[in-house]
Amino acid sequence: MVGSGLFLASIPVLLIGVVLAGGLRTNRARGLAALASQVIASALVITSVTPIFLGYGPLEVTWAWPVPIERIAFRIDALGAFFLVWSLPMTALGTLYSLGYLQPYFARGRNGGPHFALLNLTSLSFVLIYSVQNALVFLLGWEIAAVAAWLLVIWDYRNQRIRFAGFNYLVSTHVGLFVLVAAFMLLHSYTASMDFADFGTYLHGHPSGRGTVFLLLGVSFALKSAFFPFHTWLPRAHAAAPAHVSALMSGVIHKAGLFAFLRFTLLAGKPEVWMGWAVLIFGAASAVFGVLYTATQRDLKRMLGYSSTENVGIASMAFGVGMLGWAWSDPALATLGFGGGLLHVLNHAFFKCSLFYAAGAIYRATHTIDLERLGGLARRLPKTAVFFGLGALAMCALPPFNGFVSEFLLYSGLLSGSAPTIEGDVVLVCAAAVLAFVGAVGALSVSRAFGLAFLGTPRDSSIHVGEDVPSSMAIPMAAHTIGILVLGLFPTAALAIIDPVLDLFPIATAGVPDLSSVLSPVVWACRGLALALGVSMLFAWRRRAGSRESVTWGCGYTAGNARMQYTGGSFSAQLSTLFRPALPVLTRERLPTEPFPTHASHLSTNHVDAVEQRMFEVIGQGERFVQDTSARIPEQPRFAFAAGLLALVVVALVAIGEVL
Amino acid sequence: MSIVANLLAMLVMPIVIVGTINRVKARWSGRVGPPIFQLAFDLYRLARKTSVYSKVTTPVFRLGPQVVLVTAIASACIVPLAGTESLVAFPFDFVWFAYVWSLGRVALVIGALDTGSSFEGMGASREATFATLLEPVLFLVAGALCLHARVRTFEEALVPHLDGPSALLMWIAAIAALMVIIQVEAARMPVDDPSTHLELTMVHEVMILDHSGIELAMLQLASAIKMYVAISVTAMLLDPLAGEASVVAMAAHFGICIAIAIVLGLVESLIARLKLRVVPQYIVIGLIAAGIALLSMLGRGGHA
Repeated sequence: MVGSGLFLASIPVLLIGVVLAGGLRTNRARGLAALASQVIASALVITSVTPIFLGYGPLEVTWAWPVPIERIAFRIDALGAFFLVWSLPMTALGTLYSLGYLQPYFARGRNGGPHFALLNLTSLSFVLIYSVQNALVFLLGWEIAAVAAWLLVIWDYRNQRIRFAGFNYLVSTHVGLFVLVAAFMLLHSYTASMDFADFGTYLHGHPSGRGTVFLLLGVSFALKSAFFPFHTWLPRAHAAAPAHVSALMSGVIHKAGLFAFLRFTLLAGKPEVWMGWAVLIFGAASAVFGVLYTATQRDLKRMLGYSSTENVGIASMAFGVGMLGWAWSDPALATLGFGGGLLHVLNHAFFKCSLFYAAGAIYRATHTIDLERLGGLARRLPKTAVFFGLGALAMCALPPFNGFVSEFLLYSGLLSGSAPTIEGDVVLVCAAAVLAFVGAVGALSVSRAFGLAFLGTPRDSSIHVGEDVPSSMAIPMAAHTIGILVLGLFPTAALAIIDPVLDLFPIATAGVPDLSSVLSPVVWACRGLALALGVSMLFAWRRRAGSRESVTWGCGYTAGNARMQYTGGSFSAQLSTLFRPALPVLTRERLPTEPFPTHASHLSTNHVDAVEQRMFEVIGQGERFVQDTSARIPEQPRFAFAAGLLALVVVALVAIGEVL
Repeated sequence: MSIVANLLAMLVMPIVIVGTINRVKARWSGRVGPPIFQLAFDLYRLARKTSVYSKVTTPVFRLGPQVVLVTAIASACIVPLAGTESLVAFPFDFVWFAYVWSLGRVALVIGALDTGSSFEGMGASREATFATLLEPVLFLVAGALCLHARVRTFEEALVPHLDGPSALLMWIAAIAALMVIIQVEAARMPVDDPSTHLELTMVHEVMILDHSGIELAMLQLASAIKMYVAISVTAMLLDPLAGEASVVAMAAHFGICIAIAIVLGLVESLIARLKLRVVPQYIVIGLIAAGIALLSMLGRGGHA
């Protein structure tokens, strides 16, 4: 009871933070008030959920409430606690980062109060989403998160592109909401209740209704977490938002989609085999397309945004493996799948936030994140370079960093040969090969992003590079980087909060090797590798004396300049040629025609999103159809036409009603 | 004994393999050729030289070669280098193997980008692109071998089990795929030409244009180790005595490795380097072979 009281106390604390952020006089005070309230709320939440991880059972509270909700049941089990325990502190770190990142705006007199208040509301939405058992309150939390994220994205609302990106996000997230509402209405009509427990009872007993609900919820959560092909809003929103908002959206807020997926998987009980395959294949498609797009982006934050699509895809491949293991009653496979997926969600939150923060640091110093214009930043922004470099290595799942550990669990599941048929085994191995492809393309993307932004020489001399990050921005990056290293070398720390979640799944785990024993050898191998790398680098440091400096060898050509360096477009040109159908290129050109051209010529290529392009094409065709049709109708009797159409629809509906 | 044999093999065999390939190529073209241990002399000479760094470079460039060398050695620990057992073995160690190689590749690629040279950027781009096609090959082969033998470690999976026609098909396809892996990863013909060091090089060698002194020595040693590792993996599959811990078995393993090196040398003598545009297609041949290896599992029917 004390625990649940502490937990619920975080709600008023966050709301007080909202009020203070709105009411205080200076931006600094507003920010600090929001930060303080979030730190207190995080401490409250962590204190109250710790007993859950120690095996003291879930926290439960029920509030009576007027209609239409009637009662609000809060129930924090290990799954909700797992998400809460890092979501709130990471949001607090994001708030700390925003104090430094938004400083130039504050210096120009911008009021940061609403922004800080919205960050607090984001935390509040986590408290609601991860704990309530009531569909209506869940939707409330869902909507708070969505609208707060939208308002956070359009911080720089004077820019038309940013308003468009925000609107695009708002529409997409609400399409997802409609589908979610449809699923809840369907469940409500079956159960006459809004309580998750009743939903669960229904889903357990009715396999036929379960398939429909699974598909509806799947689409909604896929839109929330930006799975392919529902990802079109994501690169725009991530490129437009302030860096900390991109970081929180990608690393933390959109994990709610995966949480909700797991919540309903748990409620629905043992899944069918096809559901597992569907999630696995859907996840694999997201991972492949997401990673292919990361390889060709010019905009660093767009690239990181696509990488979220990749990583939620990898996590859901793992959940698919877990569901298959559950459906086949193979507890070892289920543990590997769900455990690996959860660990990947956590790992992704760490390295993705760190990377977005570093991208923000680049933007703050140079006012651009266009990879084709950057270069040589490692000398000017050494701290940022280190944080970005480590995050990038973790992002493409290289040992000894954290991304590798969770992917290793997924590989262990895929390659274990535990499908009941040989065909199933072969498909799982193919999925492992797909994951290997994703890893290799990811390695290309991060080498490209890091190499272009931080190494070489500056590509555009008009860019003035400012100061490296202030401590308010360095601390969040350092905290996440420490997380990357700790989780890479000591993942057992994370298993302490993952194992209780796995116990929620009603599968017999007796005699199954637990995750720490699966990971133990590879973690020791990673530690050995880290030690060897560390020692060899120490020697390299000592060797520096006595070396000579010269120019880069130009193969005999002595007038090389910065514009001759390999560019982002040329670095990924071969890959994008190999995968042209998935990576369409938009070319704008005006080439010289005669021997002595009189007009200036130009050529620009841009890798556009295939799905978005097609979507706009289809919408454009629809619009043209409406225009053409309405053009054919004479001007004056348009009203008569509309009335006639309406009458026709009414008559048709009545006729159908009569027949039924 | 097998630990000592592995360590000795890691020290000596990479040099012997490179020497053998160069000797075969020299003999084929009517020259006497360098000594078998020429690489060791080269490494010694390079290690004593002063390094020259480009003014453009950052510490990333200087640290790259150690990462490449450490990852090459780390991957060598997973593979049975002397045909008996590997230094380290744990379930799905080949996943670690592949990702450690990938770490080395990333270190090399960003080191190349650090010089700001368009040549090295070109090589880096190609190396990273080819890796995307090559990585699935290794997983398909290793996955097929593991499913076939119902084992989980690399050293057990590499012991051939030729029981029936589908296993034979898988064996042949796996060896074909591994040959492609050797040629791409070790930057040999017909994918890349290791014996030129200027504009004619296309992939691996162009990335190390700016490395000198001990850094260049580390990179050359690392690439020799990687080549021996890849050859040793293939040799395990060809070795009827694979997995046995006897002196005869080890001698057989080394003999097969040298035979593969001779084959590679002959291939390099007879075939010109492929056009760059064709290289992805060549790797896709390896991918198809690996796919056949995996699909031949279906031919066994039922469940082991």
